[in-house]
Amino acid sequence: MKRTRSNKTRLPAVFIGPGLLVLAVLALVPTLFAIVISLQDRELGQTDSSWVWFSNYVQLFSDRRFLNSVGVSLTWEVLTVSATMGLAVLLGVLLFQCTTPRWRNLLSMLFIVPVLLPRVSAAFVWKFAFHPLFGLLTWPYKAITGEPLDLLASPVTALLTVAFVDVWQWGLFFAVIVLKLLETLPPQPFEAARMDHAKTWEVYAYVALPMLKAPLISLTFVKMVESLRAFDLIYVMTRGGPGISTETLDMYAFSQGFIESGRISYASSMAVLMMVASTVAFTYIWKWTRPS
Amino acid sequence: MTAGKKKPFSFGTLFARLVLIGAGLSALVPVLWTFLNSFKNRVDIVSAVPKFVFTPTLENYLYVLGRDSVASGLVNSLVVVGSAVVIGAVLGLPAAYALARYPLRWADDIQFFVLSMRFLPPVAVAIPLMVIWLQLELYDTRVALIVTYTLLTLSTVIWLAIPAFKAVPKEVEEAGRVDGYGPYAIFFRVSLPIAARSLIGAIAFGFVLVWNEFLIALMLTTSDAKTLPIVASELSQLGRDVPWGILNASVILLSVPPLLMVGVLSGFLNAAFKRKGDAA
Repeated sequence: MKRTRSNKTRLPAVFIGPGLLVLAVLALVPTLFAIVISLQDRELGQTDSSWVWFSNYVQLFSDRRFLNSVGVSLTWEVLTVSATMGLAVLLGVLLFQCTTPRWRNLLSMLFIVPVLLPRVSAAFVWKFAFHPLFGLLTWPYKAITGEPLDLLASPVTALLTVAFVDVWQWGLFFAVIVLKLLETLPPQPFEAARMDHAKTWEVYAYVALPMLKAPLISLTFVKMVESLRAFDLIYVMTRGGPGISTETLDMYAFSQGFIESGRISYASSMAVLMMVASTVAFTYIWKWTRPS
Repeated sequence: MTAGKKKPFSFGTLFARLVLIGAGLSALVPVLWTFLNSFKNRVDIVSAVPKFVFTPTLENYLYVLGRDSVASGLVNSLVVVGSAVVIGAVLGLPAAYALARYPLRWADDIQFFVLSMRFLPPVAVAIPLMVIWLQLELYDTRVALIVTYTLLTLSTVIWLAIPAFKAVPKEVEEAGRVDGYGPYAIFFRVSLPIAARSLIGAIAFGFVLVWNEFLIALMLTTSDAKTLPIVASELSQLGRDVPWGILNASVILLSVPPLLMVGVLSGFLNAAFKRKGDAA
């Protein structure tokens, strides 16, 4: 049965086939099913359901709480992505410019720690650090003013405080990546710029960072996708509160489907909208930012 | 602090280093503080002024590890995450290799499809899956969670392993072919061992991702198949008196496995970025 070796091999089909099939089934089945449920009036624990077509969707657009959650989600997205990238570039450049190899390695290791923490852990660690009565970070305020400082209890500061934890986790990690990216750059442009007596910040602003445009856009993209997954952080730190000030779309869908009413079809219609919006947006951004 | 290489001392550099040290401390201190608190009695945690000196106790850990919910959460997490990572690696590594090495007409589209798995909002996946698993009578089982998590590990492993296989020099594979290896033998005996270091990094990423996963586990389990993150989050609702010591101990317990990966992942990052530099 031994055949002579040829360039024709079935390896790609054998190797890619099973993985792709599993992915397709695991992704497409829930997606289609979410659409089906969203067109019905299913409730949690009930087996009978009838078709209501688009009434769930219609209802969404007069639901103030839904519109609020869209706003919170967009604010969250803009806030965490821009702050993460800003912090990452700042710290990455400082690491590259101002450290000796020993410090660079030590700090890089430390900067990776936050992103490895489960977000549930990170949420508890910071919730405790910001605790109004015995938090490590709030006691100086309490010691000076005599008043406890409860950042998570105010609608104004709650979202910022949760966002801080997200930026802490990702910004430090991305700083290490920015450092690695800077290390891959050839040294000549830096030297040329220095010969022209450019200031250090000018070398970065006009020479180094523009050369890293493509990978930095990819990083931003990764963070945009990742920011949509901050449910656990918000769930542990505020549960969407105080009021609905930190209630993101997935938080609202979760509480509609499971906590408050069990209206799984209504929650599903939100999930479908989210799926469509994020797929369209990310596909567009991906194609648009990719050099063809 | 001594000034680096040939750079003259300046206040700018000093300030920059202070900022970096501050950032490093921000990464370390909260975690260390949680670690310290996990060895404190309640009185020492709930003090008006933070206590750094105290009589350590193992009570929190004994309590946490002695609870049935924590023990079963730990076992569930190990079984579910372990299985999903193994399945993801077994299916994902060959797929990544074929995508990296063979010129396929659909390669770009397949890669984008794999990446697009990450766009799916977890809540959008969890809601329909909950209904599906309920109807299949597999709701709240490890099987349901393993299958769901495979979606995450498989797409992550494929995505991160493609560059690792691309980095294996083509000449080495060519030499294998000259030695009489077929295409499968080249994968198993040549490419896989050479790329092993980076591949372990890719698999470690898959592990951290599902070990830390929360929302899907929250929605797909109620009691039997609960994973550790869910159990940990529930400890805060034990009663009106939040058991802070116990909470801190469970946070540490939950965080140890992913933190053990810090060396692997930092090696992975070094390998991933070094090559690009060599090519440039």
